[in-house]
Amino acid sequence: MALRLLLVASVMNPLLSMALRNVLRNRRRTLITLAAVTIGVAAVGTIRGVLNGLQQSIVRGSIEGTLGAIQVHRTGYLANVLSTPLSLDFEADEALLGKVRSVKGVKAIAPRIQFAGSLTLSATEGNDAPEALFFGALAVDPLLEPKVCPQRSTFFTDGTVLDDTHVVLGDALAAAFGAKNGAEAILLAPDRDGSLNGELAFVGGAMRAIMPGEMKIAVVPLSLAQRLLRMDGRVTELAIAVDDLTQVVAIAEQLRVVLGPAYEVHTWEELAPERKTIMGIQNGVSAVVSGVFMMLMLLGVANTMLMSVLERTREVGTMMAVGLTRGSVLWLFLLEALVLGAMGAGGGFLLMSVITLGLASKGIHFTPPSATMAIEVIPFLTPGFTVVVLFIAMGGAVLFALYPAFRASRLRPVQALAGR
Amino acid sequence: MTSLVLALLLSAEPPTTQEVLAKYDAAMAPATFKGVAQMTAHRDDGTTRAYKMTFLKGSDDKSRVWFHEPAAVRGQEMLRNGENFWVYMPNLKRALRLASRDNFQGGDFNNADVLRANYARDYEGTVKEDPKKPDQWLVELKAKSADSAYDSIKLWVTKEPLGLPVHGEYFTSSGKMLRSADFTEMKDFGNGLKRPAKITMRNEIATQRFSEMVWDSVDITAPAGDGKFGLSDLGH
Repeated sequence: MALRLLLVASVMNPLLSMALRNVLRNRRRTLITLAAVTIGVAAVGTIRGVLNGLQQSIVRGSIEGTLGAIQVHRTGYLANVLSTPLSLDFEADEALLGKVRSVKGVKAIAPRIQFAGSLTLSATEGNDAPEALFFGALAVDPLLEPKVCPQRSTFFTDGTVLDDTHVVLGDALAAAFGAKNGAEAILLAPDRDGSLNGELAFVGGAMRAIMPGEMKIAVVPLSLAQRLLRMDGRVTELAIAVDDLTQVVAIAEQLRVVLGPAYEVHTWEELAPERKTIMGIQNGVSAVVSGVFMMLMLLGVANTMLMSVLERTREVGTMMAVGLTRGSVLWLFLLEALVLGAMGAGGGFLLMSVITLGLASKGIHFTPPSATMAIEVIPFLTPGFTVVVLFIAMGGAVLFALYPAFRASRLRPVQALAGR
Repeated sequence: MTSLVLALLLSAEPPTTQEVLAKYDAAMAPATFKGVAQMTAHRDDGTTRAYKMTFLKGSDDKSRVWFHEPAAVRGQEMLRNGENFWVYMPNLKRALRLASRDNFQGGDFNNADVLRANYARDYEGTVKEDPKKPDQWLVELKAKSADSAYDSIKLWVTKEPLGLPVHGEYFTSSGKMLRSADFTEMKDFGNGLKRPAKITMRNEIATQRFSEMVWDSVDITAPAGDGKFGLSDLGH
């Protein structure tokens, strides 16, 4: 297609026609240069495609797996989150939920409590029951939570039950606890006022971890947690799903207005800044690697063009002798570079599309260190990035051909004819 | 002349660590006793919660606590037997194991602080002068086992009478100070037991928090038979 366009254009422009024929003159050299450009473009595109997939997987996992798109807490909660302050709680009543629902774009709300406690088996005389295991718990409403975090249950092992009497243990906790599904588990925790309380629950299953630090945790039914913590009807967190993720900042802003200064509203990006940092580092590293690829590839083009100029000194002299202007000589070589860049970019585009689609059709599965569950990465390319890469390949080829082309245009016809 | 005698007395050779700790333990954790105390936990947000409880200490590291107030913990009991700690939850009718380093009812004492065995057995260390406090000995203690509630303790005790605590600092293995305590309000509990009645435990990590333990009575003649320290006795 691209070739045909070039041919059509070449009929209209004799310089372009010459450039095209010149490129095809030394086929072996052209092929080697084209291969460099094609592989460079394809490598840059594929790296970005895989990274896109990985980052989408991280973002989806964050939003739909654990955080929700937006979270609402009492003001000051997040600054004290390490001490899981239960006293910064609020009534999750209809008045409040109605206010949140009134904001356009809010799709679902899930009330939660984050608390710290310990998990134990009941002790009897003489038995060597283990000491209580300390853990961080997230209490969720088993019916409302899936509407905000539909992916949460994908972390659960097969057959896991999460309902009003069953708790799901992070796999490190489950392993340390050593209890089978259905076994009695007693939760011990200081209540909202600091007094110790205990509630009986059953092990509903285990949960795999994706991000580091997610090991010693458990998901607990909200009603059980409210009894344990003596916080009837009260929660510490509302997780919110939105219709359109691109509007998340605007929706959060609207929620701040509706809820007033007693509440703080954070988007998932503000809640998980480390994920943003990780993605920033990934982007930086990939930009450097891509830059190096592009540079090597364009230096190849520059080398080819310089060789071409040196070889064709007599030819340039002849062209000038029959009246070709210096400007036209400059343009001729630049057009040759453009043709090389365009053909290489076209080939690179085809190759990266094939590789990316191939990888995407199966998905890449890998398990990050410190995680116990594989992430599925579906690589994809965005039109914007693809256009930029193709443009850099073509524009860069022209740019890197400037010196050889300029050198050719500065030749003196008499000397050039003599091959000097 | 008197001051000279006092100065000579005060600059005397320090007693052995075992001597000081024996005196300390005899006053602060008598071999057996029954006592009533109130703990007030002051929290970061300025709220307080008061707990009223009865203690019974038996021989060989056995202790038991009955909670009376507030209503949220009424009927709860705690038991220590050797290195094991349990809490009895009346709503579950079960005894559950606790860790010695867990907070005691959300306050700033840990379970081992309150249901204490004795320092003489768990810690070893040195006794020396503190130039800033000429009337006190500084006892620097190091835990014999990693399971102890604190890795090291600095304890300032009176020289006369020997071994009554004035101030304590409690450290983790990394050398970070976790808690500090002041021992005040000297009280005669009868039967020759005279010691501070109030312990203020400050949380050096969350510095807004502190807890006070005030002993109303300590009876070292009360019976404390082993039958009171069995798991099956909890809740009865």
